Amino acid sequence: MNRKKFIQKSSMALGAGIVAPYLLPSGRLFAKTGSVKADHVVLVMFAGGVRQQESILGRYLEDSQGVLGAAGNIMPNLFEGNAPTKKVVYGTSIAGLPNGSEPIPKLLTQSMENSGVLFPELRALSAGHYVGLSTLLTGNTGTAQGLRVRPRYPTIFEYLRKHAGFKATDTWFIGNGIGNSTPLLNSSNHPDYGLQYGANMFAAPVTFSGSGREVLGNSKTYTRADLEPMYYIKNFLDRSFALSKDQIASVSNTDEERTQIKDFIKSVFAKQQAGQLAMPPVFDNGDAVNVMYAAEVLREFKPKMLAVNISSVDGCHSNFTGYLQNLHRADHITGWLWQHIQNNIPEMSGNTIMIVAPECGRNEKPNPILDQNDWLAFDHSDRNALRVWSLMLGKGVSRQRVGSEAKPIGRLTDIAPTIADIFGVLDPVMQSGLLDPLAKSQFLQL
Amino acid sequence: MPNSIKQFSWFLLLGSALIVACKKEQTVVFGVNRVGISEDKSNKTKKKNGAEYISILYTNLYQKAISPNQLYKTQNVLYSIGDQDVANEMLLSNYFNTGSIVMPSNAIMRSDIEAFVVNTFKRFYLRYPSEGEKAFFKQYISKNNAVSVEMVYTAFATSKEYQYY
Repeated sequence: MNRKKFIQKSSMALGAGIVAPYLLPSGRLFAKTGSVKADHVVLVMFAGGVRQQESILGRYLEDSQGVLGAAGNIMPNLFEGNAPTKKVVYGTSIAGLPNGSEPIPKLLTQSMENSGVLFPELRALSAGHYVGLSTLLTGNTGTAQGLRVRPRYPTIFEYLRKHAGFKATDTWFIGNGIGNSTPLLNSSNHPDYGLQYGANMFAAPVTFSGSGREVLGNSKTYTRADLEPMYYIKNFLDRSFALSKDQIASVSNTDEERTQIKDFIKSVFAKQQAGQLAMPPVFDNGDAVNVMYAAEVLREFKPKMLAVNISSVDGCHSNFTGYLQNLHRADHITGWLWQHIQNNIPEMSGNTIMIVAPECGRNEKPNPILDQNDWLAFDHSDRNALRVWSLMLGKGVSRQRVGSEAKPIGRLTDIAPTIADIFGVLDPVMQSGLLDPLAKSQFLQL
Repeated sequence: MPNSIKQFSWFLLLGSALIVACKKEQTVVFGVNRVGISEDKSNKTKKKNGAEYISILYTNLYQKAISPNQLYKTQNVLYSIGDQDVANEMLLSNYFNTGSIVMPSNAIMRSDIEAFVVNTFKRFYLRYPSEGEKAFFKQYISKNNAVSVEMVYTAFATSKEYQYY
C-alpha cells in the first residue's frame, strides 16, 4: 500500500469510528431536529375516567347529585378554587367525625394550574379506558384498537427510542396492574417500531407484591464476574437461534441495564422490609402504591420519559362517594410526585416537565346505582365522557390557559407530539404519518 | 482402399462403439436408510406461553411438577415485568437459592465436559448439540474456571431457544 492510499484509508476508518457511535436505530446521524425543552418528562395518566364537573369545573355535588350549595374544588394541588363546605366526604376519616370529612392538606404551595399550561377543555377520542390510554401514548385516535393486544400504532416510548436514540432504561411505563391491556402499553406491535424500541415496564403493584417477593425476592446477588460467563453463553446460544423481528417478545435492554433492573428490584424488596420506601402522606389506595413505585423508578433510573397510570376513580361505575375520595387522592399523589421530584431527585429537579391528563371523561347523566350516601354513580359512554383537560408544568413552561368550556382547544392526541416536541424530535415523529392528522404539539397552540 | 471396405470398417467401428458405450445402469445400495436431515432448532417455531415456560422449567430443574397456586403466582409476577429476560433470570436465581435443584456439581461438569454439554442440550433443548456448539462449550468451559453449572443452566433456561418448542 502506498502512502497516499494508506492515508486515505486510515482517514476513512477514523471518520467512520467517530460517526458510527452516533448513528441512531432510525439510521439518522443526529438525534435532534429541534431544541430540547427539558431532559425529563413524567406523564401522569389520570385516573380512570374523570368528569369535568367534579374536577376542573369544581362542581362537587351540585351537578352530579343536585345538592345545592355543594360546589367546590376537591383537587387543590392541580386546580384553583375553594374547597366545598357542604357534605364533605372525600377526605380522610378521623375518629368521632363523619367518614371522609377531613380533606387532605394541600401539598404544593402553588397549584399546577397556577404554575403551568392548562388546556381546560380537550377532546378525548374515545370514552373507553384502553383506547384513551393508548391515545395518550400513541397520539393516534385508536380506531379499531382491540383489547388485550398491544397498541396498533407506535407509542411515544418507541418514537423516542428510535428517533432520539434513548436506551431502554431511559423510558418507563409504570402500570397499575396486569388486568386487561395495561401491561401491553409499553410498546406497540407496529412493524416499523415494536418491542425492540419499547419501554421498560413494571405493573408495580404486582411486581412488588407479596407474590413478587416470594417469586423474586430470594434471588441471589451475583457479582459481575459471576454474570459475565452466563451472558456470554446466553448470547452465543441466542445468536444461533435468531428470531425474526415479529418474534421478539421482550424489551431490548443491554446486559448492564438488565443487571441494574435486577438490582433495583432487589433493592425495592429490601426497602419494603426496612420500611424505607418514600410514599405520599395519605397512602390508602392502589394508585398511591403505584405512584410510590414510580417515584422509586425515577430515583434509580432518572429516566428521560416515564408514564404512570392511575385508575382508582373508575369505582365511579358503582360508588360515587368512593369516586370523590379517589379523585381527591389522585390529586394528592400527583402533587406529591411532583414535589418528590423537586425535593429528592436533584438530577431531575428543575429539569423536568410533568404532564397530567385523564384518558377519558365520564357521562353527564348517572346510572341508577346508589352508594352509601344515596348518590348516583356514573359510567363513561356519552358525549360528556369525551370532555377532558390537561396540565403541563415544569422547566420553561409558564402559566397559561388555552381554550375554555365555550371554546374547546386541543385533542388528547396532542400529548404524544407535545412530548416529542419537548425532546426535539417532533419533525420525525410527525413525519412518520402514524399520528392523528389533527394532532399538534401543545407548544404550537400556546 | 476400395470404398466398400472403407464403409464396412466405419460401420464396424460405429457398431462396436455402440455396443461398448451402452451399459445398463447399476443401482448402488450402501445399506443405509434414507433420513431427512434438518437442524433440530429450526423446528422450534411455537413460543411457550407463560404457564408452559414456568411449568416446564420448574419440572426440569426440580424434577417434579409445580403446584397450580405457585404457577399462578409466578405467571402473574413474570407478566408484570416488561423485560422477560430480567424476570426469568430473577426467577431462576430464586430457584437456585433454594438449593434443591437437581443438577450435577461443578466437579462433575469439569470431569467430562463433553458429556455435560450433551446432557445439558438434551435436558433443555431436547436435542443434541451440533459439533460447533460442542466445540464452543468444551473450549469455553475448560478455559474459564468461573463458569459454573448454575451459570450454564441459567444461560440455557433464559435463552431464546428455550422459549420455543
